[in-house]
Amino acid sequence: MINVALLGNPNVGKTTLYNALTGSNQYVGNWPGVTVDKKEGFLSGEIKIVDLPGIYAMDTFSNEEKVSKSFLEDGDVDLILNIVDASNLNRNLYLTTQLKQFNKPIILALNMIDICESKGIVIDYEKLSKELDVEVIPIIAGKNIGIDEIEKRLKQGNFIKTLNKTKFNFSSEKEAYKFIESALDSCVTIEDKNAKTTTEILDKYVLHPILAYPIFLLLMALMFQLTFSWVGQPLSDVLDSALNDNFIPYVRMLLSSTSPWFGSLIVDGIISGVGGILVLLPIILVLFICITILEDSGYMARVAFMMDKLMRKMGLSGKAFIPMIIGFGCTVPAIMTARTLESEKDRKLTALLVPFMSCNARLPVYTVFASVFFASHRGLVVSSLYLLGVIVAFLLGILFKNTYFKKDEEPFIIEIPEYKMPKISSIYKQTKDKAMGFLQKASTIIFAMSVVVWFLSNFNLHGMVEVVDESILASIGSVIAPVFAPLGFGNWQSAVSLLSGLLAKESVLASMQVIFAGDLSEILPTHFTSISAYAFLVFILLYTPCISTIGTMYKEYGTKMTVFSIVFQLIVAWIAAFFVYNLGGSIFNVIHLFLKMNNMFV
Amino acid sequence: MSICSLNPGEKGIISSIKGDTKLVKRLFALGCIEGTEVELRRTAPLGDPIIINFRGFDLAIRKKDAKNILLKK
Repeated sequence: MINVALLGNPNVGKTTLYNALTGSNQYVGNWPGVTVDKKEGFLSGEIKIVDLPGIYAMDTFSNEEKVSKSFLEDGDVDLILNIVDASNLNRNLYLTTQLKQFNKPIILALNMIDICESKGIVIDYEKLSKELDVEVIPIIAGKNIGIDEIEKRLKQGNFIKTLNKTKFNFSSEKEAYKFIESALDSCVTIEDKNAKTTTEILDKYVLHPILAYPIFLLLMALMFQLTFSWVGQPLSDVLDSALNDNFIPYVRMLLSSTSPWFGSLIVDGIISGVGGILVLLPIILVLFICITILEDSGYMARVAFMMDKLMRKMGLSGKAFIPMIIGFGCTVPAIMTARTLESEKDRKLTALLVPFMSCNARLPVYTVFASVFFASHRGLVVSSLYLLGVIVAFLLGILFKNTYFKKDEEPFIIEIPEYKMPKISSIYKQTKDKAMGFLQKASTIIFAMSVVVWFLSNFNLHGMVEVVDESILASIGSVIAPVFAPLGFGNWQSAVSLLSGLLAKESVLASMQVIFAGDLSEILPTHFTSISAYAFLVFILLYTPCISTIGTMYKEYGTKMTVFSIVFQLIVAWIAAFFVYNLGGSIFNVIHLFLKMNNMFV
Repeated sequence: MSICSLNPGEKGIISSIKGDTKLVKRLFALGCIEGTEVELRRTAPLGDPIIINFRGFDLAIRKKDAKNILLKK
């Protein structure tokens, strides 16, 4: 087995090269002790390629660098494949000088030769190879050019061991760069220094002080439209009806000769539960695709740049903004996107706060309640909930910043890459990986929960029940209900609906419709007042999200964080709803007065 | 003077970088060292962070960190 270590700066096409060489023969694990992905793939049965994280140097303390360093020292590496951006050699070669110190043969893959051409940069490959004492292979990874050269070379084996280590023991970065500059002076000529790039032209608008935010909002609106109006939701609805109108009746029919509880377990428990989550899949996929496109194009870096100042107030950096925005759609991809944040603490804090961005599944409940209790101010009420979520997250961020997550601010340094046209194959692959991850890991816990909830809602101590009123779930609801009494909705129906909301937020409404069999607009006012209705909505906004989220949280951060987040959100929701219910009366009067006065001037 | 006192589009030569060790190491590794020419590209719409350009690429950095990049007169 030949072990190849693939290294390079971020944004130079390393992933593209890795994918081109290993195709679908890839495995993702974890480097022990750190939350850094360990990516291994195979070019052939004999050649293993380890894709190390994108890094700029070997000695500046980050986890990614530590992991790479120890792998090169202990990991039985036969060859280093170092990919660099040929149009930006100056900075890229610093890592190369550091890699030389590991005394392994190095193949330098010079990527983006086409950009060199358009920038008027000409490189003498032979001279470069001699100067650096490495093998040089020019490629354009994005267009699949030169990849077979690399494959051929890797299969050939017989890598020259470089013994000339002394030349590369630089005592400081300054020396290293001096060497790099003189080496490049002799190998590289630039013919057109003033070519204005597309990136510069685009950024004039994208980062313009006045245009930047409207452009951003437009792109976000587009993303949400695609997800919830044009593609994602419609597909989701198709799946939903296929499930409920076709598949489930079919299965029921198949099982009609078995005992009723078994049939119910399969259909009402497992298929409904798991199926309900699968129905979410088109929405999650469309969101993922949009996010991947924005990331690959280079736009995300600019969003982080634009939002950093605001996010710092919350104890986060600009990079955390994107997961938050995604959270308004669905918390699951939002938590998964938080992975891209650099520090463990940033990732955790983001994952804790993201659920307060009101996800789309809660909207149906808001809408129905708002229509029943606040008919003429529906839009205002629903918007207020979204805003409240953001405010709560903000306040909690500030709180955490000064207590549990107190730390020195990590320096915020991010490269703003050139704009790039995203490759369809890359988008497809990344989306597929993310979706498979969600399905595989989150679904086991969902499966288990579905069975449990099914059992609790269909049985009591005497066996199977006819109506949910008599089930264990209802008993649990009655036991829990008093907890909600100070919030204004201390009845078992609300408690049970909220419990079912743990499965999926849409279930809250569905449960109420089942439990309160009848016209909700007539029945709800008998159980809620305006204030307790709003308090109820506030509770739904803030409390523990659905099990898909819990499952994702568990997969990304483990048990402790998951439990903490569940408990934490319940407490926040309770306190907020309490506050609203008990002080809401006075606040409502003030707002009512304000609106009345407003009307007077209309 | 530091890089923060440049106007967008202006360039300068770095004389030294002080401040947080992690940050300095990072910047050195990226080639932001004494003698390097650096340009202030633009400021974020909210005023912070800024984008500086050196050795052919753009880097976003907070003003509080950029203050430590000192330029030759």
